[in-house]
Amino acid sequence: MATETLASPRPVPRRRMAGQGRLGTLRNWGILLVLWEIVGRLRLVADGALPAPSAILQRLWIDWSDYPPHIWATIEGASIGFLIGNALAIAAGILFVLFPLTGRLARGINIALFALPPIALSPILVITFSGMTPRIILAAIGCYFITMSATVTGLSQTDRRAIDIVRAYGGNRWKVLRLAQLRSALPSILSGLRIAAPNAVLGAILAEFGGGGRFGLGVYLIGSLGRGEPDRLWGIGLAATLIAGLAYGLFSLIAARLTGASRAVTMPAAAPSEARAKGFLRETMIVLASIALPFLFWWVLLYAMGTPAMIAKTPPALFEYLFLSPQSATNLGKLAAALAQTLPMTIIGMAVGLAFAFALAIGSVLYPVIVRAFMPVALVTQTMPLVALTPLLVLMLGRGHSVILWITVSVTFFPAFVTMAQGLSLVSRAALDVPRAYGAGPLKQLRLVTIPASLPYVFASTRLAVPRALLGVMIAEWLATGKGLGNLLNQSRGYLDYGMIWAVAVVSVLLSVVFYQLVVLIENRVLSKRGMSPAQ
Amino acid sequence: MKFAVDRRRFLTLAAAAAAMPMAARHGAAAEPFNFQASWINDAEFTGYFIALDKGYYAEEGLDVTYFSGGPDVIPESTLIAGKADLTLTTPDTTIKAIADQGAPFRIIGAQYQKNPIGIVSLASNPINSPEDLVGKTLAVPPVNIISVEAMLKTSGVDRSKINIVPYAYDPTPLIKGEIDASVDFTTNVPYTIEQAGAEAVSFLLYDFGFTIFNDTVVVTEDALKNNRKNITGFLRASRKGWNDNFEDPSVWPPKFADSWFKGTGRSIENELYFNRAQQPLMEHPDGIFAMSEESIEANIEALNAVGIAAKREHFDTSVLEDIG
Repeated sequence: MATETLASPRPVPRRRMAGQGRLGTLRNWGILLVLWEIVGRLRLVADGALPAPSAILQRLWIDWSDYPPHIWATIEGASIGFLIGNALAIAAGILFVLFPLTGRLARGINIALFALPPIALSPILVITFSGMTPRIILAAIGCYFITMSATVTGLSQTDRRAIDIVRAYGGNRWKVLRLAQLRSALPSILSGLRIAAPNAVLGAILAEFGGGGRFGLGVYLIGSLGRGEPDRLWGIGLAATLIAGLAYGLFSLIAARLTGASRAVTMPAAAPSEARAKGFLRETMIVLASIALPFLFWWVLLYAMGTPAMIAKTPPALFEYLFLSPQSATNLGKLAAALAQTLPMTIIGMAVGLAFAFALAIGSVLYPVIVRAFMPVALVTQTMPLVALTPLLVLMLGRGHSVILWITVSVTFFPAFVTMAQGLSLVSRAALDVPRAYGAGPLKQLRLVTIPASLPYVFASTRLAVPRALLGVMIAEWLATGKGLGNLLNQSRGYLDYGMIWAVAVVSVLLSVVFYQLVVLIENRVLSKRGMSPAQ
Repeated sequence: MKFAVDRRRFLTLAAAAAAMPMAARHGAAAEPFNFQASWINDAEFTGYFIALDKGYYAEEGLDVTYFSGGPDVIPESTLIAGKADLTLTTPDTTIKAIADQGAPFRIIGAQYQKNPIGIVSLASNPINSPEDLVGKTLAVPPVNIISVEAMLKTSGVDRSKINIVPYAYDPTPLIKGEIDASVDFTTNVPYTIEQAGAEAVSFLLYDFGFTIFNDTVVVTEDALKNNRKNITGFLRASRKGWNDNFEDPSVWPPKFADSWFKGTGRSIENELYFNRAQQPLMEHPDGIFAMSEESIEANIEALNAVGIAAKREHFDTSVLEDIG
């Protein structure tokens, strides 16, 4: 029996499979394109709001002379932001792993930076800085948390035995970091950079909307939005997507080159060490400090920038606006009403987005070809500026709940999917060989090994999805439904109600943080039962 | 961006160079002056582009930097942040900010005597008056909701009978019939709709009781006191630019195809339509930017009707008097 299983070569030779996969992917892309062309030509979707690819290309050809300065401006903002944001992120990630206390203190700042909705930040940045700076900052913020998390995840999931070997040969903390941890973290960091790249492009474009500059794809989009030409909007969206896609592809390529050799071959047997709980008082102090730090940071930054008090609301000024001034009751009432509209949609959208990502991540193990064909579509929905996509979605779906749901799912899905798929693909081969040797099919292998082993990544992607879901809902509210926090933000912007702009920004951050902490709580329970450590 | 900055610099320099002999005659170094426009570069700002390119600002001893606007640029914010010396706004938001938040603004002129904002619909499903809106879906940019509600109130139309949705300055939903009407610049959108093969009808909010200016020229109280000379110079030079433009509104937009209007995604024909349509909304016997006592009174009345506490003191006509 055993000999039989060994003799029949179940694992298909890898090279042949890869070749077939690539052909299959190409074929599927071809089918998708032809379908799209037919749908566009026959004006099947929303009476022509979805133009055929050939019409988009034709329009792109006509407009081509307009593009270069816009594309360069966007690339400049996005790439400088990408470099700065990721350099900071990797440095911070290393710091947090070397000195776990700093990580716990900076936790509040990290989550706040992550959860801050760019649409709330953009007008504030644009007033405070000029020229390219707001674009760079927003692009950098778009990269920071993802790469920082990926760095910490990679460093802390290092195989204990590799660390032990370096230690046994007298390696100090620095040597351990350099020889064992950084190497094993490389795939994780690279997959972080991969998601960060489209985010940087998106951040730069969002800032271009309010930047008042002359060039940039976002600027071009604004000019074209009023022209009622869906084929041009799609053209601009595709140009943005192409930039993001090239960046994504570049890092995928680097990742494939570098990580082929460093994939885990066996399973680490020991549970990762836990450095926690050194007394109640100390714990409380740390938690309180990590909550206070973002507020302090916010305050100091405004003070240092010298932004006029009418625009820049400090924490006490915001408190006054919400609780002490004569208009406080009205202000709070508006905020509460908006919150009641936004909250339920966020929760539903997040749940659907995550479920979809998980299903697809599992699909990517079972049917890699289908998923690879789907990837370009996913990337398009991800990088196609939502401001361009939303009007098209409205034409197809109307202005009800379904449009909010679609937008929310499309923004939460992609990063969640990449993180989960990575977790699934990092499962060690030896662990998979066990059920395989006993004749388990791919589904059983998934259930018994792959899914449980990738749990830390499932939780990590849930945490990633929280603020994005909120952002998606707010963008939909702002552009389509005219309800909730997104609409309140936009209206307050128009009325120069800076107190409300800050209030919405702070409330949405707090909301994200609460969600985030809930996920962390569940995560810690589940993972500690299984002897795993959370992917930070 | 590098390209853009260089180009803009180049144009400013070229304009300055062209004006050099005159500036030299004045014998003073040009003073920096920042101007924040209220929208992306389109025909709405033709007069300023002319004044820049022909060196009218340089003649006034000003080195003007032009900042383009956009949907996310709140012009008043740039004044507070000290990034601009002068800007163009909608009077309802400016006065609301003065009244509700004590913002230190003064309105010193008005580009549009009649607000070009109106209700645009398709001729096949026409909406010719506020009453026609009942039971329809109307897309309104969130910042204009106050104006629309004011117009409905003065026309005696029940707001709750109209489905108001956000408008993102994209006429596609209107052309496709997803909405029945939208609130936008009547100087602009009808052209786009015609380009898409449909016919548009429109009416101004102004003609149904919401009698306000638009693109009001706004400075801070402080600037009005301490930077008065430059503000007056800017307004005088801008008026000259606009006068040049309206001698023949077909002349200038094509000249800016490769400079100010390059890469905006809009066609020159569109700018020409806009430029012609805006002429009757801007011209005034007392000159461009004029604010007559009657029209100020009409503004105050319209704004008070929607609960914005506009007062005569929010408008300052002294700079206009100085230009003469």
